[in-house]
Amino acid sequence: MEMMFFRIALVAYFVSTVGYVSSLFAGRVRVAKASMWVLFLAFALHTVYIAIQWTGAASVPSADIYGSLSFVAWVVSGAYLAFQTITKTRVLGAFVSPAVLVMMIAASAGLMDGASIPSALRGPWVPVHVVLLLAGGALFALACLAGTMYLVQDNLIRNKKVRGFSSLLPSLRDLDRINHICIAWGFPLLTFGIIAGSIWARTVWGSSWHWDPKQIFTAVSWVIYAILVHQRLIIGWSGRKAALLSIIAFAGLLFAFIGVNVFFVTMHSF
Amino acid sequence: MSIILLGINHRSAPLNIRERLSLSCGEEGKVFEELKNIPRVREVMYLSTCNRVEALVNMGEAGADVEKLKAFITSHGNLSPEEMEKCLYVYRDEDAVRHLFRVASSLDSMIMGEPQILGQVKEAYRLCVKQKTSGVILNKLLHHAFSVAKRVRTETTIANNAVSVSFAAVKLAKKIFGTLDRKTVLLTGAGEMAQLAARHLMDDGVDRIIFTNRTYENAVRLANDFHGLPVEFELLGEKLGDVDMVISSTGSTEYIISRDMVAAALRRRKNRLMFLIDVAVPRDIDPAAGEIDNVYLYDIDDLQGVVDENMETRLGEARKAEAIIDEEVAGFSGWYATLEVVPTIVDLKSKAGDIIKEEMEKSHSWMKDLGGEERENIDILVNSVVNKILHDPVVGLKEESRNGGADSYVAAIKKLFRL
Repeated sequence: MEMMFFRIALVAYFVSTVGYVSSLFAGRVRVAKASMWVLFLAFALHTVYIAIQWTGAASVPSADIYGSLSFVAWVVSGAYLAFQTITKTRVLGAFVSPAVLVMMIAASAGLMDGASIPSALRGPWVPVHVVLLLAGGALFALACLAGTMYLVQDNLIRNKKVRGFSSLLPSLRDLDRINHICIAWGFPLLTFGIIAGSIWARTVWGSSWHWDPKQIFTAVSWVIYAILVHQRLIIGWSGRKAALLSIIAFAGLLFAFIGVNVFFVTMHSF
Repeated sequence: MSIILLGINHRSAPLNIRERLSLSCGEEGKVFEELKNIPRVREVMYLSTCNRVEALVNMGEAGADVEKLKAFITSHGNLSPEEMEKCLYVYRDEDAVRHLFRVASSLDSMIMGEPQILGQVKEAYRLCVKQKTSGVILNKLLHHAFSVAKRVRTETTIANNAVSVSFAAVKLAKKIFGTLDRKTVLLTGAGEMAQLAARHLMDDGVDRIIFTNRTYENAVRLANDFHGLPVEFELLGEKLGDVDMVISSTGSTEYIISRDMVAAALRRRKNRLMFLIDVAVPRDIDPAAGEIDNVYLYDIDDLQGVVDENMETRLGEARKAEAIIDEEVAGFSGWYATLEVVPTIVDLKSKAGDIIKEEMEKSHSWMKDLGGEERENIDILVNSVVNKILHDPVVGLKEESRNGGADSYVAAIKKLFRL
């Protein structure tokens, strides 16, 4: 039953991606507007899917990589739709919707069959840990995207190449604001997510810190984000440096999330 | 058609003639009165901007005499016949429609694609509605012109690229700051281009402009003109920390804003973005200031470069716009053409109505025995039969008129139905 919602949402994400990307080339506002509504529809269907999954399932739905991806995609599109109403930067959709679509396609590969959940993941702190970190990660992904676009736009304006591609990108201030808001919201999520994880680790592994590569990389990213938040709030950092740092921090986070499982042996792999 | 558009614009007439004409035409009401009193003028709109003075007139009949209209312009502009011959353009019918569409879409503007002209046309139309000098034709024509302008704006990028230096500066500012609301601008010097940019910026929401000048009186004068704030030249470095944008155009031979001044200002404003525009020659702002993070510096050549590139794009877009306008002119002509068959259609329908009425009265004697409902049903039946019969000829007539060949059909219908 809920898979039907997932599949329709997937199709809607696809349609909105096609719409957004073609609106870039056609330069028509109407196409982008329509794509926004399709994306909204996709998000609504996706919300229904996630709601059914959460209320119905006995275990943690977002524990495995596929569930995670679907959840991250959900947060990203929700956050983007919220930004769209605040900053009116429709063009960001052309970058967000393909990313969401890729995550959804990857998620669909595994979601079709229900995986069994290991015993270490059966506990009250696990869903808190997973959901907070994934939501935080999704916001950081948006921040990283906005930061990248900021660097591109900054570079174009600096080099006096303000025609063509530059006019497709939002203004520097809007990009900086999106970057800032995403990090300001993502940071507490990341922090509490880590705390929830360490509490659970204490229960199952006996100690909250293990020098596990996954823990180390996450901690490093956390420190970078902490510096970024501090610099932004206290010293008034903004623009290029902030954008650059948010990209570096996200790279660290992404590595902790996926890369570590590939290159290192970690006890934190399920 | 009998639509005539005549006037002068920035291409056809030099500034002094345009000035004379627009001044002489003066107060809003009087012109309409005068134009309206010219024989055979049925509807009239009058448009006066700094770049054009035009009258759009519906004369009611084809081939109407326009000498009186020309005389109106000549007498107001105090022009000699030679001057008039040189400056005045007169467009008729489809050409008049095309010209209006081009004006409204900003294709005929001095700076092609500039957005003000549509507002000015709308304002002119509003006045003409207020003076009650518009009728069916002008109403339709103007609304059509507004929708054409909108189409051109959305389907081409003609208005997207700034083709004047001051407008390019505003566009860039928006690219950096998003919106210009609540932004503060510092203007140094009194260069014309800087003033023009200030004007554009204010139109776009900048609410505070600070003026500074080596001669303090000049700063005060400009500040009065723009409702800004004059500041002594010595305080320039200090004020730099309070502003988001600087437009510099002094005659100074050396840099008046150094890299260190900008760096200090940026520290004071907590690294918030700064946009520096240097339109002075020789330059006012040390180019090294542009290397600082979060500072964007454009000099006059940079801006000119942006404008030149935009100009190229715009010419290409203008061709697209002209195609749209051709299409729309044809659309309007189609609508206009159906007007010529409207009287025939009205006659036809009223004749049919008369026949029905007459026949119903004749049948009154026997119908009075029927019940009210039955009589009503007969009435409905008769009317719908007649309407069905007339429907196809009416539609056909309109279609033929749109194709431009309704004359013979109109004649035939008039003859056959004895209208």
